[in-house]
Order: sequence, then C-alpha cells, then structure tokens
Amino acid sequence: MLPVSVRKPLQKKIASVEHARELAIDVMFELQNHYGYLSDEAVAEAAGLLDMTPLEVDELATFYTFIYREPVGVYVIHVCDSVICWMDGYESVKAYLCRRLNIDVGQTTPDGLFTLLPVCCIGYCDRAPAMLVNRKVYGHLDGAKIDRIIENLVNEAVQADQ
Amino acid sequence: MPNLIIDDLPIEVEPGTKVIEAAERLGIIIPRFCFHPALGSVGACRVCAVKFLQGPFEGVQMSCMIDALDGMVISTTDAQAVDFRRHVIEWLMLNHPHDCPVCDEGGHCLLQDMTVAGGHCIRRYKGSKRTHHDQYLGPLLQHEMNRCIQCYRCSRYYQGFAGYKDLGVMRSAAQVYFGRQDDGVLQNPFSGNLADICPTGVYTDKPSRFKGRRWDFERTPSICINCSLGCNVTVSARHREVVRQEARFNDKINGHFICDRGRYGFAYVNAADRPRRAMVGGRPADIDDVLLEARSRLARTMAEFGPQSVAAVGPLRGSLETQAALAQLSEAAGWHSPAFYVDPKAAEIAAMATARLEDKFTVSLRGIEGADVILAVGSDPVNEAPMLALAMRQAVRRGGHAAVIDSRSPTLPFEHEYLPVAVFELDVAVGRLVNFLCEDVDTQQLPAHAAAFVDECRKLPDGRFDVYLQAIARRLLAARQPVVVCGSDIVEPATVALCADVVLLLHHMGIDGKLFYTLKSANAFGAARLGSPAANVASVLRSVERGTVKALVVVEKDLHSEFPDHERLKQALAQLDLLVVIHYLDISLASRADYFLPATTIYETGGLYLNQEGRLQTAPAAVAGGRPIQQTGGGAHPPRQYNRGIPGDTPQEAWRLLLQLCGEQPAREPLLHRLEDTFATPGALTGASPVPPEGMRVGHAVNGVAPFHHDWQAALARHEQLSRDGQMLLVTVAQTFGTEPLSCRSPWLEALTPPATVRMALETATQLQLAAGDQVVLDIKPQPLTLPVVIEIGMAANVLALPRVAPHRMARRHFLLTRNRIKKVDAP
Repeated sequence: MLPVSVRKPLQKKIASVEHARELAIDVMFELQNHYGYLSDEAVAEAAGLLDMTPLEVDELATFYTFIYREPVGVYVIHVCDSVICWMDGYESVKAYLCRRLNIDVGQTTPDGLFTLLPVCCIGYCDRAPAMLVNRKVYGHLDGAKIDRIIENLVNEAVQADQ
Repeated sequence: MPNLIIDDLPIEVEPGTKVIEAAERLGIIIPRFCFHPALGSVGACRVCAVKFLQGPFEGVQMSCMIDALDGMVISTTDAQAVDFRRHVIEWLMLNHPHDCPVCDEGGHCLLQDMTVAGGHCIRRYKGSKRTHHDQYLGPLLQHEMNRCIQCYRCSRYYQGFAGYKDLGVMRSAAQVYFGRQDDGVLQNPFSGNLADICPTGVYTDKPSRFKGRRWDFERTPSICINCSLGCNVTVSARHREVVRQEARFNDKINGHFICDRGRYGFAYVNAADRPRRAMVGGRPADIDDVLLEARSRLARTMAEFGPQSVAAVGPLRGSLETQAALAQLSEAAGWHSPAFYVDPKAAEIAAMATARLEDKFTVSLRGIEGADVILAVGSDPVNEAPMLALAMRQAVRRGGHAAVIDSRSPTLPFEHEYLPVAVFELDVAVGRLVNFLCEDVDTQQLPAHAAAFVDECRKLPDGRFDVYLQAIARRLLAARQPVVVCGSDIVEPATVALCADVVLLLHHMGIDGKLFYTLKSANAFGAARLGSPAANVASVLRSVERGTVKALVVVEKDLHSEFPDHERLKQALAQLDLLVVIHYLDISLASRADYFLPATTIYETGGLYLNQEGRLQTAPAAVAGGRPIQQTGGGAHPPRQYNRGIPGDTPQEAWRLLLQLCGEQPAREPLLHRLEDTFATPGALTGASPVPPEGMRVGHAVNGVAPFHHDWQAALARHEQLSRDGQMLLVTVAQTFGTEPLSCRSPWLEALTPPATVRMALETATQLQLAAGDQVVLDIKPQPLTLPVVIEIGMAANVLALPRVAPHRMARRHFLLTRNRIKKVDAP
C-alpha cells in the first residue's frame, strides 16, 4: 500500500490536469522513488491513480529506459551505447565496467550497490564515451576515470551507511 | 478527384485514398503488414515501399502513408523499390523462428507469402535470435510471440478498434512484446479477430489446432446465426467436421470482423450427441417409414378432430424456407398459425419492430459507424448483438456521441452517456425526450397525428432525467446523421414503437434520422412476418391443456430450455395424441416424441436468412453432413463399410421433412414464391439475378401499423408500478456467452461463461438489505432460484437483472416481485 504522504500529493497533482494520463511518467517516477523500482504493486497503484489499466501503465513503463521494472542497485550505471560513444570506445568502457564490477550488463552486484544497464544516447556525444550514474553524467571515460568514479561512489555509500 | 498512374495504368480515386489502396483497385497488391483497411496506416513495417517517379513526391516512399495525388507516376516494380522491400523482408525475418512446418498459420500466412514474394530465400544473419515467453490467453487463442514481426496490428485492433485494454505492446526496440501484462483470459469478446488480422502465427485459432492446414479445409462462405445481425463468416470444414470460422468481409454488415460468440459458437454441429436417426417413440427407425407413419397419424388426427386440432411450433433462427414451409402448411391445412415465439410479448415486439422499420429509416450495421449521434434505448449491445458495440465504437472514435438509456448499466467499449432508467420507465423517458425535441416546434407544422402525439408528450410529468434528455434532444436536432438504436430483448412493445415515432418525428423536422432495431435472434425478422403475432408457444400449450389441440409439430425449437415450467410442459405434452419433433440438436423432447425426424443445420444445407434490418442473405451448404470421421473412427481410421451413404446422413432440411410430413412434394421453389409474396419482392428469389454478396433489403414496412399511437395511461401506470407498490422488477437478460442456445453448446465459450448471478444497483441492494456476495432466493415460478448477488454500479433502481444462463434459461422476460419474495439466505 502506498502511504498517504506519497499518495496525497500525487492525487492533488493529478486533479489539476485535464487528463490524468498526462502525468503517467511523473507518477511512475514518484512511485519508483518510493519503492526503489517500479514494482508490480507500483504499476497497479499507478494504474489506480491515473485511471488506466495496469497494462497501459506497463506499456509505458517498459518503454522507458529510466523506469525500472525490476529491483536495481543503489547506483544505476547507464553506459551509453549510441553510435558516437560506440565509435569512441563504448565497447571497451562496457568491458571494463563489467570486469571492474564483476557483473554483466543487466545485472546488479551482490552487495546491491551497482546495476549496469545500457542507454542509447544521453546527449554527451561531445565527451564520448559517456555514462550516467543516478542522473549524473560522466564523459571522456577511461579505465582510471571509471576506477575513480566507482571508488568515490563506494566511499559515498559507506559514509551514508555510517 | 486525383488522377495518377501506377505501373503504367491510369486511375482516378477519391481524395484521401492512400496510394496502396489506389493500387489495390487496379489489382496491384502492394506488400503490406501493418496496413489494414480497418486499422488504417501507421507506416511501421516499411514493406509497402514503392518508387515515386513523378509528382509531388520523389523516390522510394511508403505507399500506405501517402495520399494519392494528381500527377503522380508510381512504379511498384522499380528495381530500387523491389530491392528495398527485399531488404525489409530480410530484416523482419531476422528473429523469426522459421517454424512454418509446425506453425498453425503455415499455409495461410501473410509473412510466408511476403517473404517468398520479396525474394528473400537465403538466410544471411548468423547471430542468435531474440526469444520471448508465450502467454496463456484463454481457450480461444494460442500465443507464440517469437514469430512476431512488430506490425502492431494486434495492439491497434485490440485497443484502438475494439476498445479493450488488457492486451497491448510493451518494451521497445528489439524487445517489443505484444501480449497481456500477465497470463490470463482475454477480456475482449472480439478477441478471435486477432487470429484473422495477425499477418503471421503469433495469435492462432486454438480450437482448430492440429485439425489440418488451410488447404485441407473445405472453405465456404456462410452467415452467423448466433444473433440477429447476420454477420458473414467463412466456414472451414474437414472430414465432415466444422473446424473453424473466420470473419468474412461484408461492407454492409460486419466489415472485417466478427465476435467470439459467432466465431466459436459452431460446436453444436459436430456434437456427438446430435440425433442423426429418425425415431418412433424414442427407438431408431427408418426415416421413410417414420415419415409415412407420422403423416398418416397426422391425417387421422385432422380427420377426427378437425384441422384446428393441430398446432405447429417453429424456430426463430431457422431458415426462411423452414419458416415459410410452416406458414404455408399451417395455412393450407387450416392448422393454428405457427408459433415462433415462446413469450407473447416477444412476438408482439418483433412484429412491431419489423412493421415499423420503414425503408427511409434503415441503416446497415456498417452505416452506424458514420453516425454522429447515437441514442440507444433498452439496448445492451455487447450482450445482445455484440458487433453492434464495435460499430457504435467506430462512430464514437470518429467524433460521434453515444447516449444509452437502459436499466442494466451496459459495459460498452467506448465513451458514452448513460441514463439508468428502469424498463417500465423507458416509455415516459422517451416521451419526455420527444417533448424536448419539439420544444421549439410549432405543432401546426406537423401532420395532425404527429401533432397530437407531441401534445400528449408535452403533458407528461417532469422526470429526474430531464436535464440529460434535453441535452440529448439538442444533440439529435443538431445531428447530421442520428441513429436511434432500440433493443427488443427487455423492453415493452410500446418502447419499440416509440423509437420509430422519434425517428419519424425527426424526419418531419427535416432530419434524416435512422432506426436500428436488434431482434431476439437470427431470422426473428422472418418469423415475425411469417407467423402471427398472436401465436405463441404459451397459448399453444394452453390449447393443449384445454384439449383443443391434439397434435403438435415442433420444428427446431427446444421447448424444455425455453419453457422453464417443466412439470407443466410434461403434463401438457402427455395430453397430446401426437407429438412430432423435427430438430438438429439432442433435445430432451426428441426421445419423448411419438415421431422424431432429424434435421440439418445451416452448415449442412445453408438457406435464406433475414437479419434485423430486413436484409436477405443466402448461405450455401458448407459440409456434406454425416457424422464427423473423428467420431466414426474414434480417432483412428474410419470403419471400412462399403455403403453408398455416409454414416449419419439421414438428417434433411426441416422444410423438406415438413413438406413430406404433409404429403407435399419436397420442392424449394414454391417456398421461394411464398417468401416473395410475403415480402412483396416478386422475382427476388426465383429470378435470374442471385442475392448480392452484401445481401438485399426485402423487409419493407407493413402498412396498417399506425405511427404516433401511444397509450400513455398504460405507460404511466407501468411507470408508477415500481415506485408506488414498492415492487422490484426482475428482468431476464442476454449475455454475450451462455444465453444464446446454439453457442452455449460450445465448450470453449462455456469456459468463458460467468456463473449465474443476480445484479442490482447498490441502492436496490441496500433497500433489500443485501450485500455483494450474499446468496438470495428469488421466489418466482415455476421454482425459486438461489443466486449470488452482484452489485452493478449504475444500474437503474428497483431492477434486478438475471442472465438467462443455464439452468435459468426462461423465456419470460419480466417478473414483478414484492420485496418479501426476495430473501437473503442466511449463512449456515
């Protein structure tokens, strides 16, 4: 069940627009923030809020890269596989990330810290190859830079834990 | 009108025609997957590429996306376009599993055709293919997602055309998946069309799986008789068994699609328990002996007690020939006129509807799609005549407005306005509507009887729906093509007449209003014209009980299921000297009959049928008859018997049996003449020109039924009956699956039939101190019923709806119940 503190503001927002479904993406993001990912329960909740069927919500949810229908780690690394990044070394960046994290694309590290996913273009073509971690963009990637980014994120997580 | 040249052939088309359609008219079929005439263009598949040589577009373009324009010169065979299409096919085939030998679509697969036509025959792609999980979609369709080529026809049909939201498209790019969110039965009563429109084998017909390839089947055009609309189907038969039905295009009726009741309702033809032998007193006998013996017994009864001692009961959904034979024989021999309806009111309603449907009022089912305002009175389209709901949806999708005045809160797949009006209050509501329609009309401008009618409507008391009725009236007055839809299943005869009056009034006001009645079943129109409205099974049974009728001929009528008082029926039949039954189903009456004669179905002999619009259609025979080889051989090789006939080939057309029973020549010609007389269409059936493919309207209105004639006192008395006496009205209603007698013998549809419940509005339940899920006893005759309560938001107050599913398949439509006859069953 969605707590009232999440539900109420959403209902208010939905009431202010002409067609509830206009806010489908906003609602899905809110629910994703709440649940950590867009769970089946979240899809059903969103459908109820938006006056859509769960399938209609799922049609949208599964279309978008940044809506996660499965649990993800604390940090979701989206490595860009669009044509510019691909020309500038996406494949070695991906391979390095997989090696460094010891997971494949689409997997989450056993400690639940990192999920590695592809994304097709994040508008950072001038600084390719690039990736996105929890909405923050990193460009001109190489092994050393990736190591630094990941170490920082791990430290950040440890600090947050303490 | 744009003039263009396609492959060196000139053609002129209406503005807005796509190039792909223009080419089709020249007989040039450009490859297509996503394009479908009913769904329109999306340009998703890229396989309809052609080369534009001259005109406003240049180069290779998608022919489904571009309107045909003046001066275009187009080549479909240009090397560049052909090469483009070949690459598109190769690309669409990348992930396809190449499982044609084991695919149920193999042999009638558009993807197969296009792959061959596109010239793609050697696979170059060596990578792994993406795979998907298939879903369980219910008993009607098999899902196999790996075969998908992402044409989007299914999701566009399902959500866009049909308006159901439980199947769609998920994910993106190479992961695109068409299906439901989870495994489960499809909620769409038109889902079978997915098998027709899917260009490959993602959705295939489940009941006909492993029954054969398309080329193994005898395919015959036919007509659906599972409701009054008369949609067109193609019947596939193999080994004396009907195995599949598909939608057949008819521009005036069903368009490209049919409902699942029509598609899957054929199982009764193949039923192992179908009686295929003549019987005397329940024991098999030779049909010629039975006919001879029955004939002499019938003659003896007539000689002893006079011709009026014989009565005949006939089928609503029988062929016109059978109905005509019954009418003719009854008339010639001086029997009672044949009774086609069980319920006297139903007979009256059908007679009224067919008499009032003037030529200028008629609109085809397809014509409804063009309506801008639709008013449905006492109609529940999805349950009574399913395809009507899809036609109404198309009108709404094109910007039309639909208003429904009914008691049941019908679930409809489109946006509509709904007024919850109890059955007995419908007349007064329509009367109020007339009042608002004529607010600004000077009645002196109207013909005298119309003026008098309007004056009476103006005297009706205010009602609680006035605001809405006024708005509906304004819409009707502003409409270009308004259609009034009127159901006949639960309304009173007066309501049927009132709807015709509304349309006639619109005509007097210069508005080209149309009228669309739905009737109780296929050929109910014919029954109404060939039988007398006064004749009904209830009165026949009374005559039997009084002893005036000594012999009864029952033709294709299942008295047991329609007449719930079995004890009374049994006693009445026991009083008879002679009971002759002609039927194609295993009805309990067959074994009780003195003489039983097995009849054929529409599939075995075809026949003439009239739909609710008075549109005449003809169906040829689709199977030769006889028991399916599956049954005679028990799954193995059929027995090697060297006979001339085939096993179980005794059944004959009911009309043929009837004529022989009365000692007449079994000739069809005189029956056709009789039908031509009845419908005042000389030469229409016996002439040289055959019935056109889209059918032809013959059911012209009958003179002598006065319009604008209404007993408002009776209507107001009915209106007050509920509120004044605190009574509840129990209405027996139709349901898409489970209430139509032929289709409810289909095991696949049986699986989709919800259990019987009694539905009511929340306020009604509160008054009766009931809650959802409670068991309630309805004290009705012949025996009380115990049913679970379902709360239906939006139903009219004081109305209870009971679907006529087995075992509550009664013909009576209304029961007025005082509250003490509706009792909650206390939990043990």
